[in-house]
Amino acid sequence: MDYTFQFGQIWPRLPYLLGGAWLSLQIAFLAFCGGILIGTFCAAVKTFGGGIARRIVNVYVVFFINTPQLVQIYFLYFALPDYGIFLTSYMAVLLGMTLNAGAYLTEIQRAGFESRRQSEMEAAEVLGFTRLQQIRYVILPHVAKVLFPPLSNHYILMTLGTSMAAIFGVEELTGRALNVNAETFRSLEVFSIIAVVYVVVTLFASVVLALIGRFAFRAKMRIV
Amino acid sequence: MFQFLKRLAVAGALATMATALVAPGAADARTLDEILASGTLKVGVNPTLAPLGTYDDKNEIAGFDVDYSQKLADMLGVTLEVVQVGSPDRIPFVASGKIDIVMGAMTRNPERAKIIDFTLPVHTEVFGVLTLKENAVSDWKELDKPDVTFVQVRGSTPVKFIEENLPQAEVLLLDNYPDVVRALAQGRADAMLDVLDFVGEYMNKHDVEWSVVETPVDVYYCAIGVAKNSDNLKDWLNVAVFELQRKGVTDELWLKWFGIEMLQPVDESPWF
Repeated sequence: MDYTFQFGQIWPRLPYLLGGAWLSLQIAFLAFCGGILIGTFCAAVKTFGGGIARRIVNVYVVFFINTPQLVQIYFLYFALPDYGIFLTSYMAVLLGMTLNAGAYLTEIQRAGFESRRQSEMEAAEVLGFTRLQQIRYVILPHVAKVLFPPLSNHYILMTLGTSMAAIFGVEELTGRALNVNAETFRSLEVFSIIAVVYVVVTLFASVVLALIGRFAFRAKMRIV
Repeated sequence: MFQFLKRLAVAGALATMATALVAPGAADARTLDEILASGTLKVGVNPTLAPLGTYDDKNEIAGFDVDYSQKLADMLGVTLEVVQVGSPDRIPFVASGKIDIVMGAMTRNPERAKIIDFTLPVHTEVFGVLTLKENAVSDWKELDKPDVTFVQVRGSTPVKFIEENLPQAEVLLLDNYPDVVRALAQGRADAMLDVLDFVGEYMNKHDVEWSVVETPVDVYYCAIGVAKNSDNLKDWLNVAVFELQRKGVTDELWLKWFGIEMLQPVDESPWF
């Protein structure tokens, strides 16, 4: 292959691309936090809740897990205005990713809740722990340790998933790369650079998460 | 930590290589001889630019660009292969040799000419401003305000035009014409600036009152794009484009697909 790489037009645009990476991280972080809140609530409903509430949560989870995220955001962005609900590009992407994450995190957390051992709960009861103490000292440490690795994985997936935002006019890393590509037509150079940026960003997040997992929750996680 | 940095470097290099392997280099663009020997001409057409390119009843790509490239294929004595392209990827496609030539409103401009070569102009594009009736203005220059948002197709010519001539306006970039027109109809933006012949089909799909700002904003010349250094192919195409123009075939096809004559005709000139 005798393709000549020409990065001359790309380097001056690197700060612009990195600004996009920052926006990608921001979207992933906010959507993940929102997703955790929804997921914790829905997982609690599925584990401890009543029949009707559980059914409503089931419909939500089944719907969002079995349709592509792209379709969900497309619906929020282009279909809702026909019903008078108007979301900006950023809001539609953020809400779409949050709802999608909420559904997946519900399932992940439900599995975590169910992994608590009945014998440990009984032992806690015998020792005279209150309900709150049971949650604080028995359920949480156990569940957190089990849940942390899959939650971290999902967070990494979400960081990469932010590239979808470009389709809806959000100028994150991929969107900005497409713009630079449209101006310079140096596709290989632009996409090579953002591939490296994505790798660096996700590896960095993996290391941080693995460190938190090891020291805060004693989860068995490899640090790269 | 050293181990981590080493892994990081390896991962980065792998990512770069993987990207590079997906798209072949410019060296893969075919010469005229290779096209003749293979018996097919691969033409990139954008099916979202009706009537230049559109999907017909059989869900196949048809339109002015397809008919025009069929004429070229007939003159070469080869079979036509139509390849779907979009506004952002059409230039990388032809530069990397995935297609032999690209049509689809290829405006000739110096930026693009750094990457690909152009033939003589095939047709013109007359730019206008599309907006909703409630936002109508009498002159496009009135739209140079910070509270005006244009919605445009990423990678299309008007994006640069707006940057240079309406620097105060905001721009929302989407990836195709149907989404751009829908966004405008839903009120996500105030106006779009483009070749309005191409969006008629999408405008009809929305129950809103459109308004076209009458002033012709600009005129561009569109040609056929070929890979850099494929001079023998480009030379042949120039002769063919001239012949199709001289014999009135271009105008005939334009009338067939657009229903009107080209607003700004390409002057025929035997000098090139």
